[in-house]
Amino acid sequence: MKFKAFLTENGVNLLEKRFLPAFDKMGKTCYLFLTKDHLFFLHNLLNGDGVQCIAQFRIDVLFDDYRISSQNDDRIAFSLDVSLLYRAVKSSVSICTEFSGGLASNRLQIKLVKKLPPNCTQPMPFLTFETKGYKSAVIQDVPISKPLSRSQVVELQTALDSAQDLPPTLVQVQDPNQLQNFVDRMKHVGDVLNVTISKHGDLQVQISTTLIRLGSEFQRLTVIGEKSQAPAEDRNLSAQARSERAIARGDAQSVEVSVKHFLKSLQCHLTKPDSAFYGIAPQGACLTVIFQFLVPGTRQTDKSISLHCRLPVLDSGSN
Amino acid sequence: MNSSPAIEPDAPDLVCQLDNVQGMVDALTCVRWKRHQDALVELSEHGIVLIVEESGCLQAKVYLQRELFTKYEYGAEGRPRFGISLGLLVDCLNTFSSPGHSNTIEIKYPGPDMELLLKSVDTLNSCIYSEIRTRIPETSEWDYNFEQAGTAPLTFTVKSAALKEAIDDLEWPGSSVQISLQKSPPCVTFRGEGHGDLQIDFMYYANTDLLLAFHCDTEVSYGYKYKFLKATTANIPGNVARENRGSKLTIGRGGMLKVQHLVSVAKALAPQVESAGYQPPSRIAYIEFFVKPEETA
Repeated sequence: MKFKAFLTENGVNLLEKRFLPAFDKMGKTCYLFLTKDHLFFLHNLLNGDGVQCIAQFRIDVLFDDYRISSQNDDRIAFSLDVSLLYRAVKSSVSICTEFSGGLASNRLQIKLVKKLPPNCTQPMPFLTFETKGYKSAVIQDVPISKPLSRSQVVELQTALDSAQDLPPTLVQVQDPNQLQNFVDRMKHVGDVLNVTISKHGDLQVQISTTLIRLGSEFQRLTVIGEKSQAPAEDRNLSAQARSERAIARGDAQSVEVSVKHFLKSLQCHLTKPDSAFYGIAPQGACLTVIFQFLVPGTRQTDKSISLHCRLPVLDSGSN
Repeated sequence: MNSSPAIEPDAPDLVCQLDNVQGMVDALTCVRWKRHQDALVELSEHGIVLIVEESGCLQAKVYLQRELFTKYEYGAEGRPRFGISLGLLVDCLNTFSSPGHSNTIEIKYPGPDMELLLKSVDTLNSCIYSEIRTRIPETSEWDYNFEQAGTAPLTFTVKSAALKEAIDDLEWPGSSVQISLQKSPPCVTFRGEGHGDLQIDFMYYANTDLLLAFHCDTEVSYGYKYKFLKATTANIPGNVARENRGSKLTIGRGGMLKVQHLVSVAKALAPQVESAGYQPPSRIAYIEFFVKPEETA
């Protein structure tokens, strides 16, 4: 199998300034899944435990001169330590800047290699970053796992396909930072967060313990997918009563997630999304949050980058 | 005429609104020296008082007068009292103070189950709400009877920031601090002994910008446990130093120490207005600590 490509300046910026800092917070290791058209960063996809995070980049967003070949339909997948990758990209960037002296032709090459590390008898796989400067070259090796076998890749692809299902109703949170600020302060109060999403565009997050109930309700959010009108008589009720009635009518769903998981998913704000969409999967299987990136200067979704998280549900609330 | 029992909703004991939650968080944090503390709250037509206590040696009170609130509707007979977790109350109020939200909050007591009800006000499409369980308070009164020491009070006022710094510095010598008032020259001394000695003197005529007032007609000296003394200044909010406030310390009969702070509850004004130093009295919360001297068991 072979993989070699040059990272574009845009690609380096995206990874170094926005996405790798977020992935670093999502989990220690993740899968890198390369195909002919896309690069995926996948967290917790195969182990059922924590927050699943799926990031997809179209190749032309990150790379120039992208070459990939394998006996597995030209797909390659392996796992690595995200912090090592982040560190390698960061220092490659500083080397590039140091040696470039204004030359734009300084390029960062990334490729898959097998090398014999010191004190080892067996060659090991690495993702290598190579910067060819004016007078010298700098090479950084990021250790990676043995690339996944054909059956393992199929397993990964299947998990990826099923993780792409959209919930029937999504509500748009225009200011993800406001939500983050609030939940960040709420974490001192309890461990379990109840999230209720209605087809009317209401999002309610609440912590309940024996001593306290604390929650926040966001109303009249933009709805994508199945939507309905809130009945006028509900308007003056308390947030709690409103959501109970909406659930009873079948217009809303409620799930419980861990506060820690929710805060972890909010780390995706480091990627600087333009907004976030929240939805509950059918049967309350998980809480999905999809981050939207707009083409800079427009209101159009940038379809070349996608990022979403799926949070495990602790206990299904009422459907 | 109608025989079915009508459940008449009673007017709540208190409905009040505050336009700066952060101010209330600052005032209550002042008396939060542990993560979990039980507080006693007393409501009256004059305002809200919150009291915390530890091991019979340290008591603190926060006075939030009704003038601090933009609305204060008192409907109780007598003075309702309830117990509540201070840590939970502060952490909860802190969520109402998130940036981007309106800072106005409504507090109501009691809820249907004697809870304390909180909700944000004046926010367009979002709101924050909370219900906190309360307890029936213990009936025994805490014994912190503060009496004047002699014919005249023994008291001094020191810049709050300087007091906090002095007490922070006294951490390393040992577990006990001696506070002495000397008549001539007029001077307050804080002394710690143990792992080395440290003595901090505030001379009345030498540092009139640190020691702002001083009254002493008999010399006194009492020892106080360091951790209780530390609790009186550890969580003074930043605005107290920024506004150059002073803290008043008084030694009462038997050596009981009273420490009083002023904490601004108003919204932060433009810098040039703040530096004028004047705050309308109604925008200040009063904090009082009582520390028993070490000699008294």
